[in-house]
Amino acid sequence: MNPIIRRELLEVLRTRRAVALQLGLALGCALLVLLRWPTGEVADLSGARSMQVLRVFGYGLLAGILLLVPAFPATSLVREKMKGTLALLLNSPMRPWSIYAGKLGGALGFTAVLLTMTLPAAAACYALGGTGGEGGIGALYAVLGIATLQLTTLALLVSSRAQSTDGALRATYALVLVLCVVTLAPHALLRGKTGPLVESASWLRCLSPVPAVMEVLGQGDVGSHGISAGSGVFLRYLFLAAIFSVICAAVTVAGLNHKLFDRARSAGVMTEDRSEAGQFFRRVLFLFFFDPQRRSGSTSAWVNPVMVKEFRSRRFGRSHWTMRLLAASAILSLGLSYIALTGALGWGIEVVGGALVLFQVALLILFAPSLAAGLVSAERESGTWQLLMMTPLSPGTILRGKLLSVAWPLLLLLCATLPGYIVMMTIKPELIHQVRRVVICLGLTAVFAVLLSAAVSTLFRSTAAATTASYLSLLAVCGGPLLVWLGREAPFGHPTVEAVLTIDPVAAALQASATPGFARYELLPANWWIIGSACVALLVILAVRTWQLYRPE
Amino acid sequence: MPSGQPVVETKELTKQYGRFVALDRLTMSVERGQILGFVGPNGAGKTTTIKILVGLARPTSGSARVAGADCVREARKLKRLVGYMPDTFGSYDNMRVGEYLDFFGAAFGIRRKQRARRIDEVLETAGASTYHDLYVEALSHGMKQRVAIARTLLHDPEVLSLDEPANGLDPQARIEMRLLLLDLAERGKTLLVTSHVLPELARICQRVAIITRGKLRAFGTLEEITRQLHPLRPMEILLTNADRIDRVVEVVKKYVEPGAEISPAPAEAVVRFRTAKREEELAGLLTALVAAGVGVTQFREVATDLEEAFMTVARSSESDEQEGELARNASEAEPARSASEGPISPTRQRGGLR
Ligand SMILES: Nc1ncnc2c1ncn2[C@@H]1O[C@H](COP(=O)(O)OP(=O)(O)OP(=O)(O)O)[C@@H](O)[C@H]1O
Ligand SMILES: [Mg+2]
Repeated sequence: MNPIIRRELLEVLRTRRAVALQLGLALGCALLVLLRWPTGEVADLSGARSMQVLRVFGYGLLAGILLLVPAFPATSLVREKMKGTLALLLNSPMRPWSIYAGKLGGALGFTAVLLTMTLPAAAACYALGGTGGEGGIGALYAVLGIATLQLTTLALLVSSRAQSTDGALRATYALVLVLCVVTLAPHALLRGKTGPLVESASWLRCLSPVPAVMEVLGQGDVGSHGISAGSGVFLRYLFLAAIFSVICAAVTVAGLNHKLFDRARSAGVMTEDRSEAGQFFRRVLFLFFFDPQRRSGSTSAWVNPVMVKEFRSRRFGRSHWTMRLLAASAILSLGLSYIALTGALGWGIEVVGGALVLFQVALLILFAPSLAAGLVSAERESGTWQLLMMTPLSPGTILRGKLLSVAWPLLLLLCATLPGYIVMMTIKPELIHQVRRVVICLGLTAVFAVLLSAAVSTLFRSTAAATTASYLSLLAVCGGPLLVWLGREAPFGHPTVEAVLTIDPVAAALQASATPGFARYELLPANWWIIGSACVALLVILAVRTWQLYRPE
Repeated sequence: MPSGQPVVETKELTKQYGRFVALDRLTMSVERGQILGFVGPNGAGKTTTIKILVGLARPTSGSARVAGADCVREARKLKRLVGYMPDTFGSYDNMRVGEYLDFFGAAFGIRRKQRARRIDEVLETAGASTYHDLYVEALSHGMKQRVAIARTLLHDPEVLSLDEPANGLDPQARIEMRLLLLDLAERGKTLLVTSHVLPELARICQRVAIITRGKLRAFGTLEEITRQLHPLRPMEILLTNADRIDRVVEVVKKYVEPGAEISPAPAEAVVRFRTAKREEELAGLLTALVAAGVGVTQFREVATDLEEAFMTVARSSESDEQEGELARNASEAEPARSASEGPISPTRQRGGLR
C-alpha cells in the first residue's frame, strides 16, 4: 500500500474531530430518516413517501459532501509544504504521481469512511421500498462518489498552489461555490432560447453535481426553475466530472516539483524610486492609493492602528483587489437591473431582485469568514498576539480595529451592489418599502456573518481550523434551512418550513424581496429579532474571549 | 532612578502550571545599565521568568518589580517601560518592514511626525536600515532578529527583555549582536538576555543567573560564580619534555596549598594541579619555574568559563533531584564537591586554549 495513504488515513481517523464528524453524520442521517418514517397503518404502495424521505436524505448528503469534503484535501498539500515535509517527500525516491495518489487516496478514503456511516440510513430508505429505477440509491451514491472525486482533485489542485492553509481553504470553497452554483447560472439565464450558446450552457451546467442529484431524486423542476430540465444529466455529469478530475489531477501532478518551494517574494521596485513617467503610469493604473508598490504613509493618530495594520497585512484587503471586486459587483448589479428594465429575459422584477439578493449573500458568505476568521487566530498562530499584548492598546481597541477592518470592505461591497436597487426603485417607486427591508436583512446578514466568524476565530489556535469552522457554521445557518425549503411540497409541511426558515437570514432577505417560492412565508420581523439577538450573543462571546485571551497566563 | 538601585527585582517568584512548578522561589535583582545573562538548559524556566517580568504571565506567588512598576498590579504602566523580544519573531504577512514598525509605533502612541524618524533611528541602531522596503516574511532569520530588536527599541523602553536574541545567528552576526547589546547597556538600558549560547553571554554580562528546573542555582558576576563553583582553579603546566617533571612537581608543591592535588602526566609532559591562589602568587610560581630552567612552554589556567559553571550546576541539580530532600539542604556544599570530582576532560582543555 502507498505509505502516504496509510499515514494520511491514520492521521485523520485518529483525531477526535474525525470521530465526532463520523458519529454526527451517522446520527444526523438516522434522525432525518426516522423523522419522516411512515407512521400510519396504511401501506404506502406508490412509494411516494419513501421517495420524499430519500429526497431529504439525498440533498442532505449532497450538502454534507459539498461542505465537508473539500476541507481536508484543501489543507493537505499546503500544510506539508509549510511544514517542509513536502520537500522531504519530493526528495525521496517517490514519484510525484505516487505522492499525489497517496494524498488523493487518503482524502477519498476518509470520505468513503464518512459515506459508509450513512449507509444504514440509506438501507432504511431502501427498506421503505419504491426507490428502484432511475431514482435508485445506487445512482445517488454514484453521483456522490464522483462528486467527491471531483471536489477532492479540485481541492488538491488549489492546495498545491496555495501559500497558506487558510488561503487554500478560502480559494477552495470559493471554487466549489462557482463549480456547483455559478455554473448553473448561464443555463438558467438562457432558458427558453435555442442555439449553440444554449447547448454549451446546458453542458456547463452538468459540471455541477446539483442537477444530477436532482435528476436521480426525480425532481426535474424544483421551484428554482430552469435548474434541471431534460434528461441525461446524470450521465453527462459522470462524464464531465471524470474529465474534470483527470485534468485537475494532471495539472497538480505536473506542478509537484521543486518549483513549489522556489517562489520569489521580492520587494520589487518602490514606485517612489521609479522614473517620473513610470510613477505617472502606475498612478493612473492603480488610481494612486491602491498601488501595492507605493511607500505607505505613517498611520494617522486619528485612526485605529490595528485597523490599518489589518488592511495592510491582508492580501485582498489592502490593495487593488478590493477595488476590482467592487467594480465587478457594481457592474453585475447594474447588469441585472438592466435585464429587469428591458425585460430582456422575460424576468419579472421579483426574480431579478431575488438574483441580486442571492448574489450579494453569496459574496457576504464567501468574504465575511475569509476576512474575519483569521482576526484573532492568525495573531495567536503567528505569535503576534503577545506582541499586541505588549503594546498599550486595550483589548477593546484591538477588537474594534479588527472588526472595523472587516466592516469597511463588506460595507463597500454592499454599497457597490446598491445601484441595482436604485435602478429598480426608479422603475417601480412603490418598491421602496421592500428595498428597505431587503437592505436591513442584508446588513444584518453581514453583521451576523462577521461576528460569527470573529467569535469562531477566538476559539481556535489555527486559522485553517477557524476558517473551516466559520464556513461550516455559516453555511449551516444560511444554507441548511434552504434544504428544508427544497422539500417544502413534501415531505415537510408549511409550518415546519416556515419555522425553519425563520432562523435563516438569507431566506428572510429573499422573502423581503418577494422572490418566488419565498413570498408566502411570514419571516419578518421575527427573523430580525432572532438574528439580532444572535449578533448580540456573538458579540458578548467575542468580547469575553478576547478579554480572556488578553489576560496574562 | 539613581544608579545602584535595582531596576529589576524579583522576590520569591513562583509559577506553577497545574501541579508542575515551572519557577521555584526565584529571588534576584539587576541594577540599571547592567546586562543580566539568564542561562539554563531547555525547559529551565527562562521564558517563563521573562514573561512574568514583562506582564504576559502572572506569578502564582511572589512579586516582581521592573523599573519601579509592579509586574502584576501595574501591567499597563509596565508596557511602556519594558521592551520584549519573544523567542519567535511574530511576522504579519504582506507587510513591509517600514509598515510593520509603523504599526507598532502607532500602537505605542508615538506621534506621527516623530515616528518615521524614530523608525529610521532604530533600524540604524539594529543595523537594518536597508530593510525598510522589504517584505517582513521574506527576511532571513538573522534579518528578522534585527528587525525584532528594532521593534523592541521603538518606544525607547528602560528595560529590554530579550529571549534568545542570538539564536540562529551566524558568528559574524553574533559578534554584531553582542556589540549592539553592549551599546544599548552603555546608553543606560537594563538588559535581560536569555541564551544557551553560553560563551556569548560570558563576555558581556555583568550579572549571570543560572537556572535549572525552575530553581536559581547561581547568581552574581561570572567571576563570583566561577569562584563559588570552583574554589580550586585547575592549572596546567606544559613542558618541552618530561625529563625534569619531578623537579616541576617539587617547585609547584612549594607554592600551592599543602596537601593540594598535583598530578604529573609524564606521557603528555604535563603537570596538572588545583589551587586557590590568586594571579600574583601564580606569577611567582611561573618565575620560579623559569628560574629552575625546566623548559616551560605553557602555563595556563584550564578554562572555567560559563559553560563549565553551567555544566557543573546542571550536574549538581540532577544529582540533587536524585538524592531528594536531604541533599537539597546540603546544596551549599555541592559545588565544591562536583568541582573536585573527575579528571580534566577534553572539553575543558579546549576551553583553555582560548
Ligand atoms: N503554558 C504552559 N503550560 C504548561 N507548562 C508550561 C507552559 N509554559 C511553559 N511550561 C513549562 O514550564 C517549563 C519552563 O518553560 P520555559 O518556556 O520557561 O523554558 P525555557 O527555559 O525558556 O526553555 P528553552 O530554553 O527551551 O526556551 C517547561 O517545562 C515547560 O514545559
Ligand atoms: Mg524559552
